[in-house]
Amino acid sequence: MLPVDFFSWLWDRLNVFATVFLGIFVEAVPYLLLGTFASGLVEIFVDRDGMSRWVSKRPAAAAISGAFMGMIFPVCECGVVPLTRRLFKKGLPLSAGVSFLLAAPVLNPIVILSTASAFGWGQMLLWRFVVSLIIAVVVGLVFSVQKEPDEVLLPVLSGGDHDHVHSEEGDSVREKIRKALLITVDEFFDMGRFLIIGSLLAAGLQTFIAQSTLLSIGSGPVLSVLIMLLLAVLLSICSTVDSFVALGFTGAFSFGSVLSFLVFGPMVDIKSTIMYLQVFKRRAVAYIILIPFMLSLIAGLVFNYFVK
Amino acid sequence: MPLRMFRSYQGLILLGLCIFFVSKAVNGQLTWYINSRFVPLTIVGIAFLAIMAQTIFTEIRRSRQHELEHPEHHHEHDHVSSSSALWIMFIPLAIGFLIPARPLDSAAFTTKGFNTSAPLVSSDSSAQIFETESQERNILQWLKLFNYQDDITEFIGQEASVVGFVYFGDELEAGQFFVSRFVVSCCAADGFAIAMPVQWEKSNSLEQDAWVVVKGKIQSIDFNGIRTPMIVAESVDPTDVPAQPYLFP
Repeated sequence: MLPVDFFSWLWDRLNVFATVFLGIFVEAVPYLLLGTFASGLVEIFVDRDGMSRWVSKRPAAAAISGAFMGMIFPVCECGVVPLTRRLFKKGLPLSAGVSFLLAAPVLNPIVILSTASAFGWGQMLLWRFVVSLIIAVVVGLVFSVQKEPDEVLLPVLSGGDHDHVHSEEGDSVREKIRKALLITVDEFFDMGRFLIIGSLLAAGLQTFIAQSTLLSIGSGPVLSVLIMLLLAVLLSICSTVDSFVALGFTGAFSFGSVLSFLVFGPMVDIKSTIMYLQVFKRRAVAYIILIPFMLSLIAGLVFNYFVK
Repeated sequence: MPLRMFRSYQGLILLGLCIFFVSKAVNGQLTWYINSRFVPLTIVGIAFLAIMAQTIFTEIRRSRQHELEHPEHHHEHDHVSSSSALWIMFIPLAIGFLIPARPLDSAAFTTKGFNTSAPLVSSDSSAQIFETESQERNILQWLKLFNYQDDITEFIGQEASVVGFVYFGDELEAGQFFVSRFVVSCCAADGFAIAMPVQWEKSNSLEQDAWVVVKGKIQSIDFNGIRTPMIVAESVDPTDVPAQPYLFP
């Protein structure tokens, strides 16, 4: 290869990389801002241990109510991480927090509407909702076995206070909002860097790994589900719009495979994994990734084999 | 790093992001990165970034004032946050300002591939595509018509006029090229290319990635076993990159 050719090839790759990276970043920033602002408001307006009064202590009830909290906080997978972290600080039970983390990116009004506009009010929407709910509750229940949050959460959350900003009794509303904004900024910087690292990785993979190779491997009821799960991780697209992308696969892939993409994608992808590592210890992150992976795989297989 | 210096950098980065987003919004390049329906959301994001930058600069001023008024409690301790949060946040600014903006083009085909068929969105009604004047239909609409209509006889011979960039694929015969567009649902990360073959005797005179308006008559061909619309071109004229280089499903 001539050096000139090589440089023009490299320049092309760099341009694709920059466009894909900025695409993910520009798309994600408003959602991250929404999540961090929600987190700032929770910090200032919800008092310590406030969450534990609202959410049941019983594991099953906590996991289910955690999963449905997504209906109140319409955040996608970028915004949900800082918000969950904050809710943990406010005493949200572990099982409720984990099922919220997994369910909120799917079980919220924005995502339901976008799924409906891509696939219609039908089977795909229904099963996406149901399977995601089941997985989130199951993982929540698994975590409810752990009675000591310190075993699972990073020390920043369970113990010492790390914030530079503290609300005080008697702050005016204006003062409270100012403090909420300062926390939003800190959280935006804290989480933003992991969003950036994740987007860099996703853009890099997309620039150098051909999707067609991946798709050409993926036929057959088992392999096609695995490929769709892998693709969900690789593409790292926001859950609010992933159904439009999934639609592009409906021709080549079965219902079950596309469903597993829609269920797993919002729970685990490159950027969210890196963000999870800022909240949970590594072993807990492994559970949060592997259990949904296994269950999405099973769901995909069940549909591929038993439902036509 | 002392807290006030940390805050200053935060303020500068927020301001930088704000300027970056505003400049993209003003020169219309936001749609080079995201689907146009997310642009309002980005505008809200810009306002929010501006408010955050303003909050930070006010905070810095307050802390300086506080220090002047009470020099005795000079308690600015070293800040625990690592500076990695700061330099990583510079990366998007560096990429955004240093690498010249360029929408996805045939350079992305090697990894993203391209298609001569397109999925139908459930909110699409075929009636809508039918009612569109044949010369108003874009590449995506032509492909959808050919993919999802059982009977396409009425489309054969219709006048077409589509805008796209030139791509020479190995799959083509001499005197043919593809006119292509990227379809973006969310952001450039999910972009996929669609293409229509064009028959034109002067195809050789065209350059890869050049934006063109192709006018001609529709014909149906069998391409890789799929019924595909082809334009038998009467004219192929160079054109500017459209304000929105991608199509949105």
